[in-house]
Amino acid sequence: MNEAERLFNEIVKDYSERVYWHVRRFVNNHEDADDLVQEIFLKIWTALPSFRGEAQLFTWVYRIATNETLNWLRREKVRSALRFTSIDAEMERRIDSDPFFDGDAADRALSKAVTKLPEKQRQVFILRYYDEMPYEQMSEVLDTSVGALKASFHIAQEKVRAALGKDIFVGSD
Amino acid sequence: MSKRNDISTPEGYFGDLQMRLSEIPARPVRVSTVHRLAPYVAIAASFLVAVMLGNAILRTSAPAAPEDDTWAYVSYLADALDPDGAVPLDMAGYYLDDEETEGLSADDIVNYLLADGISVEHLNYLSYEEGF
Repeated sequence: MNEAERLFNEIVKDYSERVYWHVRRFVNNHEDADDLVQEIFLKIWTALPSFRGEAQLFTWVYRIATNETLNWLRREKVRSALRFTSIDAEMERRIDSDPFFDGDAADRALSKAVTKLPEKQRQVFILRYYDEMPYEQMSEVLDTSVGALKASFHIAQEKVRAALGKDIFVGSD
Repeated sequence: MSKRNDISTPEGYFGDLQMRLSEIPARPVRVSTVHRLAPYVAIAASFLVAVMLGNAILRTSAPAAPEDDTWAYVSYLADALDPDGAVPLDMAGYYLDDEETEGLSADDIVNYLLADGISVEHLNYLSYEEGF
């Protein structure tokens, strides 16, 4: 096993589960999350020679994961448009039909509200709320200032709160 | 409301996922047709852009045809109509009466030249100078 393979296996061991949960929140379906995680790690493997160690490994991996996830979402939007359906309706259908969704009605409503957020806000919301990533790390992953991320998360929270009709974010800022 | 317990995975999923992912380096690298053709498409696109730019530059920067070219053009037209050179250019009026070009009027020639880009000023000049 050469050095690149050793590093790749380390990344797989340390980050595959975390990347899976991150992706799963975006795609709302286990099967698609599984496919996308494989695509992301394939990308990580092919990009590994360009990793220079200037960025933290964690930041680098997450950056690839979030970019690939956004690309997937854009492709999905186009597919939905070609089927004459809205992406929101498609995402809601995924949540309702996912056999590995174990939450209650409130969880389901929250997931659906999150899918309706604009791309960037959804990204910030998922990283902060579900992945519980510190703003400083989010700033490195998304290449955005901490202040802008805080503002974006606040707006996203307000939208979700309005969609749900109740406050579920006490102390989550 | 829990944050993570609302979604789950099949039993033993992460062990299986790690195994599959760790096989990625051993996979043969597949290059899609799009990626294989990309350099050729780029070269063709560059060539097309160069031709279009060159064309645009020539169109905007080339000076108007000099006056002398008008006579060269008219001579060429006369040669085309009369390859044997039997009828001199200054006998164009006579030439139009030739039975082989019956029905072809001076207006036809004027319209043809206008359609080919000759300016009205040139035609007026020719008509005045040569009785064309």
